[in-house]
Amino acid sequence: MNITMNGRILEVQTGQTLLQVARQNGIHIPTLCYHAHTGPAGKCRLCLVEVGGMRGLQTSCTVEVKDGLVVTTDSDAIRSARRLVVDLLLASGRHDCLACEKNSDCELQNSAYELGIERPSFTVDSTADTDTSAEFVYRDNAKCIKCGRCIVGCNQVVVNEVLDFGFRGHDTKVICDDDLPMGKSSCVQCGECVQLCPTGALVDKKTVGKGRSWQLDKVNTTCPYCGVGCQITLHVDRTSNRVVRVTGRDIAPSNGMLCVKGRYGYEFHASPNRLTQPLIRKDGKLVPVSWDEALDYTAGRIKAIVDKHGPDVFSALGSGRITNENNYAVAKFTRAVIKTNNVDHCARTCHAPTVAGLAAAFGSGAATNSIADILDADVLFVIGSNMTEAHPVVSYYVKRAAKNGATLIVVDPRKIDLVRWASLYAQQRVGTDVVFLNGIINEIFKNGWQNEEFMRANTENPDDIREWVKPYPVEKASEICGVPVDTMKTIARILGTAKNVNIIYCLGITEHTCGTDNVKTIANLQMVLGHLGKRGGGVNPLRGQNNVQGACDMGALPNVYHTYQPVEDPKVAAKMAQCWGVSGLPLKPGYKIPTMMHKATTGETKILFCVGDNTVQTEPDMNKTIKEIKALEFFVVVDIFPNLTTEMADVVLPDVCFNEDDGCYSNMERRVQRLRKAVNPPGQAKPTWWIMQELGKRLGVDLRFTSAQATWEDMRRTATSMAGITYERIEELGLQWPCPTTDHPGTPILHLHGKFTRGKGLFCRTDNRPPAEVPDADYPFMLSTGRRLWHYHTGTQTRNSVGLETIFPEELLEISPVDAARMGIKTHDVVKATSRRGTITLKAWVTDRSPEGVCWCAFHFHEAHANVLTNSAYDNVTETPEYKACAIKVEKVSDGVPFIQTVQRQARP
Amino acid sequence: MVKTEKKCTCGGVAASDAENHARLAQVIQEYQNKPGALIPVLQIAQALFGYLPKDVLRTISEGLNEPYSRVFGVVTFYSFFSQVPRGKYVIRVCMGTACYVRGGQAVLTALEQELKISVGQTTPDRVFSLDVGRCFGACGLAPAVMVNDDVHQFVQPGQIKDILAQYRKPTA
Repeated sequence: MNITMNGRILEVQTGQTLLQVARQNGIHIPTLCYHAHTGPAGKCRLCLVEVGGMRGLQTSCTVEVKDGLVVTTDSDAIRSARRLVVDLLLASGRHDCLACEKNSDCELQNSAYELGIERPSFTVDSTADTDTSAEFVYRDNAKCIKCGRCIVGCNQVVVNEVLDFGFRGHDTKVICDDDLPMGKSSCVQCGECVQLCPTGALVDKKTVGKGRSWQLDKVNTTCPYCGVGCQITLHVDRTSNRVVRVTGRDIAPSNGMLCVKGRYGYEFHASPNRLTQPLIRKDGKLVPVSWDEALDYTAGRIKAIVDKHGPDVFSALGSGRITNENNYAVAKFTRAVIKTNNVDHCARTCHAPTVAGLAAAFGSGAATNSIADILDADVLFVIGSNMTEAHPVVSYYVKRAAKNGATLIVVDPRKIDLVRWASLYAQQRVGTDVVFLNGIINEIFKNGWQNEEFMRANTENPDDIREWVKPYPVEKASEICGVPVDTMKTIARILGTAKNVNIIYCLGITEHTCGTDNVKTIANLQMVLGHLGKRGGGVNPLRGQNNVQGACDMGALPNVYHTYQPVEDPKVAAKMAQCWGVSGLPLKPGYKIPTMMHKATTGETKILFCVGDNTVQTEPDMNKTIKEIKALEFFVVVDIFPNLTTEMADVVLPDVCFNEDDGCYSNMERRVQRLRKAVNPPGQAKPTWWIMQELGKRLGVDLRFTSAQATWEDMRRTATSMAGITYERIEELGLQWPCPTTDHPGTPILHLHGKFTRGKGLFCRTDNRPPAEVPDADYPFMLSTGRRLWHYHTGTQTRNSVGLETIFPEELLEISPVDAARMGIKTHDVVKATSRRGTITLKAWVTDRSPEGVCWCAFHFHEAHANVLTNSAYDNVTETPEYKACAIKVEKVSDGVPFIQTVQRQARP
Repeated sequence: MVKTEKKCTCGGVAASDAENHARLAQVIQEYQNKPGALIPVLQIAQALFGYLPKDVLRTISEGLNEPYSRVFGVVTFYSFFSQVPRGKYVIRVCMGTACYVRGGQAVLTALEQELKISVGQTTPDRVFSLDVGRCFGACGLAPAVMVNDDVHQFVQPGQIKDILAQYRKPTA
């Protein structure tokens, strides 16, 4: 089909609008209410064009193409009509451009410029107000042109459902909830509305006055928070060496969307609290020293201890928060220089059961599909994931899919915020996931809903699973897991009869003593349903940290080199030895974190080299961790902030953070994405790869780390599934591994057409195993832990950024209204939570998110830290601790005062 | 548009708040998952409660799975919906062009003085609410005032007391 536009004959497709055709062909049509994310609204009437055969001017954003249409996009009549539109918009607000944040970046101003409007023909005094109540978003309603982009964005893009138009006619305005100030509304400050606003009506409050758009350098990079790996642009003020604004980039995986942390939690890089010089403990105190002294001392101590006791007394921790290059550097140093495989990282505390469980079932321990696939599923099965808080951008996709008609099933012991968008909600008891899932599989077999064809063709043992779930009829499973029989039957029917099921899970599944079994059961369920190896389906764990996938990929694990090459394989070891120019690489797998730590108390671990981990605050049972660290002979910490762990170190080395060096992260969909240097590091902070290189040199090995890119190239030389990923190839868009060669396009979907990485899929037997510690008369509550929307990890980043702590300044113990009423506890009362391992004092939040008998808190605040209470019992396969279940008692200490006077908020009292 | 219940079911005694909420829950159940349910449910709720208090809006928002801001947006868009309690009689003074030039404003001022309330408010005894209208299509009768469904024509400020007395009487 062809149309003629401004005399050019253009090929078009059915369903395209005139505006889309124009944009595609580089023909400029000004718009205000149209945005590619929010679609046509037909409101502003700026995109008027002449269409042959149609009376009057037409809005090009709403008119669809027809064969032979003749369109003119510029004429005197069109310009006159557009001028009237812009003139009236300018007249009806208070568009003071001089001090406006949007000056030069404003679509209304640009339209006025283009049409030659110097000032409006007349002015009407605007009575619209400003709203400064929100922490991060500043609203100037007098600059609002009522285009509705923010409203569509809020309701249909990120689906936070806060904004709408209220009132009528002249009084029409954008409202938050029932016309509350934004700061008191249910707004979660994701800032999508700011990014969509064409004028200065919605701006980033913290950026006001910090520099004009043209004065700021734009650096594209990856968000340093959760594992979604959102693509961001840092707006950098070179004179102050600071990031002053963050915007989302319009590419995969986030397509412009961000959450409150990613958009507004950026100041930590410039925090005065940063570690800026090497420190050595002298006479019990950490004192600043030169790099040379610190490195000589560290290398000397390591050499002395390893020479005396052998390489296995050395253990190193990489991190899910540092780059691929730095994780590789730590792993290579440990293996090539020290000659031990004792290297691990915090995936141990989160998704190690995923890596083990999915590798056993499918042959690869990573998410099978891309994030955007969520929009292609007709059923979304979410279990053990509080994604609106921990992975907000994934939740936007899930909520959008649910709003567009997909069936969303949420299974979680807590009535999390996502339940609001769910078609079905099942509240299983903490730690009964295997029983619940086996019950569902049993019911699927009972009704013949299993995908027999897929199982026969693609799995090794299709008959076994049928037998293994026999002891779990829904009636019996229901008694144990607490989900009503009818609900279980309905869920089984929906799953069993769906066209495409996407299973999404997170740490609610893995952080149990039966974590690997939980993951295997999920794999069993999906192999029974057969929605694997195709778009929209799959088993998709949400990786917790920005680079926890990458830390695994880079071999910061005791049993594999980078790209999962087994350390026990002599051929692999020989390849590494040859390429690295070293000999004697160890074939014996190293210690996992809990073993490393435990062996400190028996003298078998003497050195711990810890990069970006904050071990004291992240391992369960803090008192035990402290005891173990105290037993070490030599403790080195590389980090960006002082924390409870650096306080115990013998040597502290200052690291650079995400925007101070080049590198890459791998996100939860296996996409390797670039990080770029945007600012200079503070003081003498140095990248981890440089530290490892310098230490290697002092210990007699040149690791060949001369830059982040050189480190990556060194990794690639011996890599398998990531050998084809180069910095040049991921300059614009990240690539998903497996990508073995430089001409390989990457792999968005694993196990295509059911052809599993391991050959055939393997069903694994799983049975009910209750948590290691269950409530009893002395400790009657089950405590589960996790992450909050407003904070990340141990708070070092979010608590050193402006505003997040204002919104959520202290940890709260979530408790059910029933329990609270019985104990006379109100929200904000001070309570004491005690487990067999310790006590914390914090305020209560009475909320029906918690079921009766279950309490919940997070690990962001060292002042009241969940890990004082948690149990160090771990999964028998992966040694992942049971953060999601331990027994506590709760006592009221005193009446409290609320820290903030609001009634209605998501993710907050 | 769905017909709202006109028939009084209270038997002369106003239904309790709890009864109204129970009825609202039933209504929400009936309308759930039906497209375009919001406006009819709001109409029924207003008929039940006499107005639309915040907790009712919240219940409707949650029950119909509509964003709260959308419910509030619809309520504030249509003048039919009220968020404040309405009197037994709603007085609407026409402020259309014809009524205005023939003294509508004076009539309105007289009403405000007599009832001691301003436009949009309700008397403390909840007998009268005062509103303005924009042309009832009765310009030949200007200035016109409507009290519920009754139209009063050629109203002069001096007649206000008598008009109000007609409605006060039966409740006394």
